[in-house]
Amino acid sequence: MSASRRDFLWRSWNGIGGLALSQLLKEDLSAATLIDPMAVKPQHLPRKAKRCIFLFMAGGASQMDTFDYKPKLKEFAGKRLPKLPGLSGEIEGFLNAPHRVIPSPFEFKQYGQSGKYISTLFPEIGQMADQLAFVHGIKVDNNNHGPATMHVNTGSQLQGGASVGSWISYGLGSENRNLPGYVVIQDPRGSPVNGSAVWSNGYLPASYQGTLFRSTGSPILDLALPKDVTRDQQRREFDYLAQLNHQHSAERGGSAELDARINAYELAFRMQMEAPKLVDLGSEPETVRKLYGLDNPVTEGFGRQCLLARRLVEGGVRHVLLIHGVEIGKFSWDDHGNVKERVPQHAAEVDRPVAALLKDLKGRGLLEETLVVWTSEMGRTPFINDLTGEKPGRDHNQYGLTVWMAGGDVKAGTTAGATDEFGLRALEQPIPMRDVHATVLNLMGLQDDRLTYLHAGRYRRLTDIGGQVVKTIVS
Amino acid sequence: MSRLLFIVFLPALTLAGATFENDVQPILRAKCAGCHDGATRTSGFSIASQDAVLAGGARHGAAVIAGKPAESVLIRILRGEIKPQMPLGKALSAADIATISSWILELKPELTTSKNRPYWAFVKPVKLPVPTVTGATRNEIDSFVLKKLAEKGLSMAPEADRLTLVRRVYFDLIGLPPTPREAKAFVDDPSPAAYEDLVDRLLKDSRYGERWGRHWLDLARYADTNGYEGDPEWPHAWRYRNYVIDAFNNDKPYDQFIKEQIAGDEFFQIVSAVPAPPPEPEQAVALSFLRLAPFNRTPVSEENRDSWLSEMTSTVGSVFLGMTIGCAKCHDHKYDSVPQRDFYRMKAFFSTVTVPSTGRAGGAEPAEFYRPGEKEWADKQREKEKQELTSTQADFDKFLEPLIAKLTEAKKREDAKFEGKLAAKDVEKEVNADNNNAAGFDKKPEILTTADRAEWRTYNEKITRLKKAIERLEPMCMGLRNSDGPPFAPSPPATHILIRGDYDHPGEVVEPGFLSAIEGNSNPAVLKLDRYKMFPTRGRRMTLAEWIANPDNPLTARVMVNRIWQFHFGRGIVETSSDFGRNGSPPTNLELLDWLAVKFTEEKWSVKKMHRLILTSATYRQASLYDDSKGLQVDPENKLLWRFPRQRLSGEAIRDAVLAVSGRLNLESGRLPVYPPLPEGLDEGQKVQGVNTWETSDGPDGRRRSIYVFQRRALQLPFLETFDAPVLNTSCDRRRQSITALQALTMYDNDFVNGEVGYMAERIRKEIGPDVREQARYAFELAFNRTPKPKELEGALKLVAETRPAASGLIALCRTLLNASEFIYID
Repeated sequence: MSASRRDFLWRSWNGIGGLALSQLLKEDLSAATLIDPMAVKPQHLPRKAKRCIFLFMAGGASQMDTFDYKPKLKEFAGKRLPKLPGLSGEIEGFLNAPHRVIPSPFEFKQYGQSGKYISTLFPEIGQMADQLAFVHGIKVDNNNHGPATMHVNTGSQLQGGASVGSWISYGLGSENRNLPGYVVIQDPRGSPVNGSAVWSNGYLPASYQGTLFRSTGSPILDLALPKDVTRDQQRREFDYLAQLNHQHSAERGGSAELDARINAYELAFRMQMEAPKLVDLGSEPETVRKLYGLDNPVTEGFGRQCLLARRLVEGGVRHVLLIHGVEIGKFSWDDHGNVKERVPQHAAEVDRPVAALLKDLKGRGLLEETLVVWTSEMGRTPFINDLTGEKPGRDHNQYGLTVWMAGGDVKAGTTAGATDEFGLRALEQPIPMRDVHATVLNLMGLQDDRLTYLHAGRYRRLTDIGGQVVKTIVS
Repeated sequence: MSRLLFIVFLPALTLAGATFENDVQPILRAKCAGCHDGATRTSGFSIASQDAVLAGGARHGAAVIAGKPAESVLIRILRGEIKPQMPLGKALSAADIATISSWILELKPELTTSKNRPYWAFVKPVKLPVPTVTGATRNEIDSFVLKKLAEKGLSMAPEADRLTLVRRVYFDLIGLPPTPREAKAFVDDPSPAAYEDLVDRLLKDSRYGERWGRHWLDLARYADTNGYEGDPEWPHAWRYRNYVIDAFNNDKPYDQFIKEQIAGDEFFQIVSAVPAPPPEPEQAVALSFLRLAPFNRTPVSEENRDSWLSEMTSTVGSVFLGMTIGCAKCHDHKYDSVPQRDFYRMKAFFSTVTVPSTGRAGGAEPAEFYRPGEKEWADKQREKEKQELTSTQADFDKFLEPLIAKLTEAKKREDAKFEGKLAAKDVEKEVNADNNNAAGFDKKPEILTTADRAEWRTYNEKITRLKKAIERLEPMCMGLRNSDGPPFAPSPPATHILIRGDYDHPGEVVEPGFLSAIEGNSNPAVLKLDRYKMFPTRGRRMTLAEWIANPDNPLTARVMVNRIWQFHFGRGIVETSSDFGRNGSPPTNLELLDWLAVKFTEEKWSVKKMHRLILTSATYRQASLYDDSKGLQVDPENKLLWRFPRQRLSGEAIRDAVLAVSGRLNLESGRLPVYPPLPEGLDEGQKVQGVNTWETSDGPDGRRRSIYVFQRRALQLPFLETFDAPVLNTSCDRRRQSITALQALTMYDNDFVNGEVGYMAERIRKEIGPDVREQARYAFELAFNRTPKPKELEGALKLVAETRPAASGLIALCRTLLNASEFIYID
């Protein structure tokens, strides 16, 4: 490591008090990385957003029960869909089931100046309607959870790609060297489909991988001292260790690599003291805790995730990925059965926390600088899919995903794209997911065709063959 | 016309007879050498020779078109027509550019046409005469290395001392440290051939296969699970892991190793109308190689199959040929002479591959593949599991009886007309019901108690686990086969070029064919079908395998010797060891690479002979502690090997070494995957409805070598991951050696390390007795294979004395030593 880089690292360490959990956790300090991988890089385009919070609803959230209002479905309740123009043959669902329409069991209401119809399951988010811009009728490349989740999170349905947060960290670097550039907080009840592949750096360098935080207890593994080891004892051991390591390095001509390793131990020592403060939400005032719903067991889980996300972006973390829902089972948005009871449950868990996040960011003047993206891995069908037949649910629908965004240069109150009157698929040109990725990058000041990385003989990018920015929702 | 115009602008002086050596090179030397001399070669472009300049760099390819200066990349860059203009931030004078232009104008066209100047990697390597050099050599490798060093005015470091060597060779060949006794035996060995004997002994040690097999598993993107939804287990993948370990231990000739992995089912010759017998079990297992990528099962479509075959094609290309042919899936390769059609010609060799369609991740093929003694073990183990399943099932049925009765009773209360009896599946429904809505009881108070539900789940999990355990032991493998072909199944399907790689845009049909950039391969390959061509789906992959595993293939041997070299020295002669194309790094010593490649084929593709040759060279035996200021200045990255490159151990080697020094490493080889304990808090999130639990191996199984750890795609063992062990979704040719604060936390705080340092202290007390000074000495020998220096010993004793509680003093010392750089950096 060059002297100047080492100086830089130490300066930034000492210069910023308070939170001290560092990107250096993951950052490769070895001599191979002479160019600082997390240095702040200029945007390609002047955009207000500096940070991104990506809210991922695992399982495939039903668009026609949330943000894509389809009153027409009522007329067809219990009937088969009519023959739709432009469709040849049978409509695909993921499972075989009678394709009988179920209208949304939930009321929709117009919210805000924009008059956007939003399901009354989201009264709190509804209050923030004028901050949001919607994209309907997004097409995802695959009709099942594993590949679709990869596609929405990494731009490719195959495992091995780099996630949105990795691309953004790679493109912009990290503003605060004492926090990780990219943090992931998953649902406290478990992991999403594909596990850590969802926030993988893929072919990008390891510095850009998401750092997995736990929302309770110690935020990362191996932070607590070994049993029976006191702080004093650790200091004694580290002093002796430093003696051994310094001598070892000196005998080898002061290798940069070995020196970097010595530093790593000192960083680790300080980190152990500072890191737990980061996830200590006890320091937040009661009003804020209530705002996020920490006082209610239904909203507490995602509320903690959202409040942590705010603390993280406030501290300069570039990208935060929050995952709501786990792989399979009742905590997933994968409502093949019982839409009537399960969608309200998921909605209740996220409505207050998400609205709180938007309000809180706005109140602190952070929403201008923070892009918030709400998405799932696909939409659902307007027709029935319940294996027992008693409690109707909906099937997978790779053509009907809804995404909304807020903050930064998002043109709030707008809607782009549309599904047909049944919410099945886009009427005109569907919006491919790569266009949404291009839009997210654009709103972060990055151009998808300039943000490339040479891997295995090919310049890779998030949008693969390139995406078109969805201009309607960008100011 | 353009030529005429151009001449008009040239100063008359430079018109006649400019040569590279006299006129052009001096200009380039003066202005470009800082970044583009033979050693720096920024962007792969070097001005060292006329050939190098003609060849151009990685970015733009051939730099010169003879006779056409205005179109030549070199001139266009110098003029700023291609950005960035060179030299960076400056520009050559018009006169200099004119001189270079006039040289290009008069160049003979045959010098720059690709037909006469094929890329080095596409030309069969030849053994050049071993150069005569000054300096001590032990074998031919040293002559080639010294020649390159001498060109830079460098020489080799002196030989490393014996303690360093023994530690280096142990870790390198078997991935474990020598015991203090083994190290001493080598140091004290008076034989002049002591070192060679050590190398030979370790090459015969079965732990060698566990170290080198791991390297191959990285290339083969090996895992025990499928990835994607549910990350389902591949219960038979572990047999491939054992196959690889055995292949290295038995020094299976590399050409055979290739053929088995690409076409293990096509060895039998068909000489009559009778279909071929099933493959040898070992060769059936080898075929797992083609199947080890994460398998995307959905949608169930032809497109999905297409991407599966494409992955096979790309991986075979990068692993065996060092060519990133996958790039040509969508367009002609931008840097290498791989036209798009070549990718599909290669893919056509795989068009008849099929896998049993059972199971979420595809089914298994039969393979009675057992290592010595393993069949008895497997049969016994399976029998045991089966008995346990039977008795558990019986207990479970007994447990269910009263619950069924209870449910039936409740049902009758609810529905007076109901007759008969509910069944076990109704109990399951009731247990898993969200809100009591199963079995027709909507929103009713719970019938089963919490304890009932918990017990039901315990039984269910146990039964699931036992069934899985039995399945793993079935004599099956992750292999594949060809479709049957006529008359019962179709002939091989046509392979189309896909326009822009898009499945919905099929183009022209192609026949199986090899890389056309290698001379003689522009026509379709002659398929090795059976004599009567009765089984047209069979023989395609063997045709490909035989072309790859052939001394005439210019890539195969080079790529493999380079990999071997890389794992010994930490860096290959070609640094990008899976990319020998123009965009990869150029070889630092092509003559050496070619000599080794030819030698490898001459020695019948013996990997062990290659190890021995490399390990007994003076190049390998150099010290790493060597401060040559000239070396540091001229070749700071030590690419030419003026000293031995110090290397950090891999995550697996660190974990194994921790267990080795604590004396608790379980050296049992082969068999099923093991599940070392996960850090607290991690395992809970890994449970998905009772499947895919991490079946923690608490006993000695949890302390087996890291290569045996269950490789789960959705969850890498955090300890290994922290030390750069990747989740293998794609082939990995070289591990990173990062340095992070997280590694420090892991080595110091981790439960696993702290458990083992306790045992290490216990072991020391037992073997050494109560003398603290002797204990400290021995701790150093275990951790570093050397005795402490006086100051180190003093510090150690002080640490031990000051530690509270006093009984933990030795543990504190052990923990500190394992955290020291010397424990994980090998000189």
